Amino acid sequence: MQESQHHVSSQFDEELSRLRTHVLQMGGLVETQVLAAIDAYANGEVGGIKAIVDGDRRINELEKSIDDDCAHVIAKRQPTASDLRLVLGIGKIVTDLERSGDLAKKIAKGVRRIHGNGHPPGQFGVGIRHLAEAALNLVRQALDAFARLDTAAARQVIALDDEIDVEFKSIIRQLITHMMEDPRTITTAIDIITIARAIERIGDHAKNVSEQVIYIVEGRDIRYARSIKETAP
Amino acid sequence: MNAPNSEQIRALIARGKLKDTAFQAIGICCLALGLLVIFLLVGDMLLRGLSRLNLDFFTQFASRRAGQAGILAAWVGSLLVMLVTAFAAVPLGVAAGIYLEEYARRNWVTDIIEINITNLAAVPSIVYGLLALGIFVYAFGFGQSILSAGLTLALLILPIVIVATREAIRAIPAMIREGSMAVGATRWQTCRYHIVPYAMPGILTGVIIGLARAIGETAPIITIGALTFIAFLPPLPFAATGAEGATAGLFDWVMSPFTVMPIQIFNWTSRPDPAFEVNAAAAGFVLMGMVLAMNGLAIWLRYRMRKNIKW
Amino acid sequence: MNHAMPTNDQAALKAEARSLSFFYGEVQALKNINMPIHDKKVTALIGPSGCGKSTYLRSFNRMHDLYPGNRYEGEIRFFPDNTNLLSPDVDPIEVRMRIGMVFQKPNPFPKSIYENVAYGLRVRGERNRRVLDDKVEQALRDAAIWNEVKDRLQDLAPNLSGGQQQRLCIARALATDPELLLFDEPTSALDPIATGAIEELVHELKKRVTILIVTHNMQQAARVSDYTAYMYLGEMIEFGKTDEIFIKPNDKRTEDYITGRMG
Repeated sequence: MQESQHHVSSQFDEELSRLRTHVLQMGGLVETQVLAAIDAYANGEVGGIKAIVDGDRRINELEKSIDDDCAHVIAKRQPTASDLRLVLGIGKIVTDLERSGDLAKKIAKGVRRIHGNGHPPGQFGVGIRHLAEAALNLVRQALDAFARLDTAAARQVIALDDEIDVEFKSIIRQLITHMMEDPRTITTAIDIITIARAIERIGDHAKNVSEQVIYIVEGRDIRYARSIKETAP
Repeated sequence: MNAPNSEQIRALIARGKLKDTAFQAIGICCLALGLLVIFLLVGDMLLRGLSRLNLDFFTQFASRRAGQAGILAAWVGSLLVMLVTAFAAVPLGVAAGIYLEEYARRNWVTDIIEINITNLAAVPSIVYGLLALGIFVYAFGFGQSILSAGLTLALLILPIVIVATREAIRAIPAMIREGSMAVGATRWQTCRYHIVPYAMPGILTGVIIGLARAIGETAPIITIGALTFIAFLPPLPFAATGAEGATAGLFDWVMSPFTVMPIQIFNWTSRPDPAFEVNAAAAGFVLMGMVLAMNGLAIWLRYRMRKNIKW
Repeated sequence: MNHAMPTNDQAALKAEARSLSFFYGEVQALKNINMPIHDKKVTALIGPSGCGKSTYLRSFNRMHDLYPGNRYEGEIRFFPDNTNLLSPDVDPIEVRMRIGMVFQKPNPFPKSIYENVAYGLRVRGERNRRVLDDKVEQALRDAAIWNEVKDRLQDLAPNLSGGQQQRLCIARALATDPELLLFDEPTSALDPIATGAIEELVHELKKRVTILIVTHNMQQAARVSDYTAYMYLGEMIEFGKTDEIFIKPNDKRTEDYITGRMG
């Protein structure tokens, strides 16, 4: 989307740019939350978890406020074409971001359970950590793609999400083997699965965000495409 | 620059309003002066002629004795001449006006015609009289008749009628014309159903104002030779004539000799006997009344017809 | 340029502009316009003031012929008989008998409501009182104004409200069963409620008549039309399905205009 020209109404320009800033702000918060949750998992620091749970409220507030702003822009400006797609896309993106925030909270709670039980994750730490970093990277890239309305970056996110799915499955397989070998680890393993599942979901949400970026820019709805080829411009 | 405070604003307004007041005063003076002159003229005529303003004055022919002279022949003559004038000028003028506005293409020919029509309105009326003397009285052989006089005056007011028609047509919004054409009407249908009816108040006003001018015209009528002393009326249609068993035709009256109000007045004022001046004043007042009545009619008609025409 | 873009559905065409240009004297107001008008659909013309959309609309019923110095080039084909509306051999009156028009400002004649609607029929020589009565009633019903005026058909039309006047003008155009109805910014002089009524009416009318509408209100184009054409400086910039134009225009200039980035 070219932005060479401004709206005749500079007020409208301002409203749209404020909307985008808020989305990025919200995205930044989600990023921080996810990062903090993973750190807690890796370091076994249960102390920061309450902060994560509290931080989620701020994300929820932001979602509500951005949704509200979207409604206002639609009511007041009747946006069309790229403006309309931007507002609609943002409406969906904030939902994904909010879910990601919830998932960060879920990870944090899982970490608290694991450490509370006195069974640190041990050997699974590395795999999860790797998965988490990949997911976090996707979140960053998706937000980047949104900030710059960069469809190439967005497409990359969609491709990378497949890799996360593969990695997630391999972790699950490992955990299943582990549980069969030593049933005492089952409680911890289930918590770890929950965490891995949450991380994988965060990757999916990042992919959804990227799909919205493509919709905003190109006007093409590529959700539920069966292969990456179908999403090509 | 600081915003002026309310004191200053008030001073500014007061200065501006002073000029308002001054102009208003001047305007009222001018208006009053004009009205005063007219009022004095009419009042003077009324005062001097009052003694003769009775029914007899309207039903008596002219007489050598001032006390018995009336304006019967004159007012009947004036009315009949106006009738001919109206019947000649209205169709011609309205048709010409419609043609020029609705049909004629804009080019140098129509431009020249347009300029000429405007100029015709400014031609001195005596010139029309001379023209009519040559054409109607002699060439066409209409003689010194009501017909000649009516046609002459029709020529005189034709430019007025044409201009009034065109102005009235121009006042009709283009969207009415387009609305009519858009349903598939021809130009003629558009004129017949819309242009003429909607222009009618304006056209009538123009016609009546033209007639009001014509009724006071003396010069062209004298030129074509109206009688100054006449003691009979034009024959009524189908009235018995002097000859045995014969009756007048429907239009015999148009060929009859006649006189009109202004000539009657002119005739009386040129008599040595001062008693006739009283007659002249009374007739002048009547003529004035006729003109005012026609103007009043114009205003009333315009009001009545315009009430139902709005866009 | 996208104006030649084929549209997916093969709906029948009611008319088609082919290489249409128009000149006011020496000034070229329309430049080589190609555009289909789909049968029984609403096609909206949008664009900034002076872009030629009204000029284009008024070419369809040869309104330009009323004024000297105007000249057309190219053709407007009218179907099913494939007449070229702009041909010098075709009488503009014939064209106007087949194509109705509703103007920017309601322009009822200063006559009765009845006479306004009956006018088109009278022009066609209809004298039978019963036929006139029936057709007037039907047209007023079709224009969704019958219930408001049925008890006062002899009242003067200009005494109606603006919205009623405009619907009366639509009835006037409908009375003669036009094949194509041209609307030249029909709601620009109306309040939002009256505007809504006209839009609703347009939606109803397209079941039986093809509609071409000029509007300066983009939202209106989005609401009422099936196809939209964006015009700029006498050119057809983009033509397409309304949904596509308003969600995903192909041309940057269309995008800038409909998102309010002009100027």
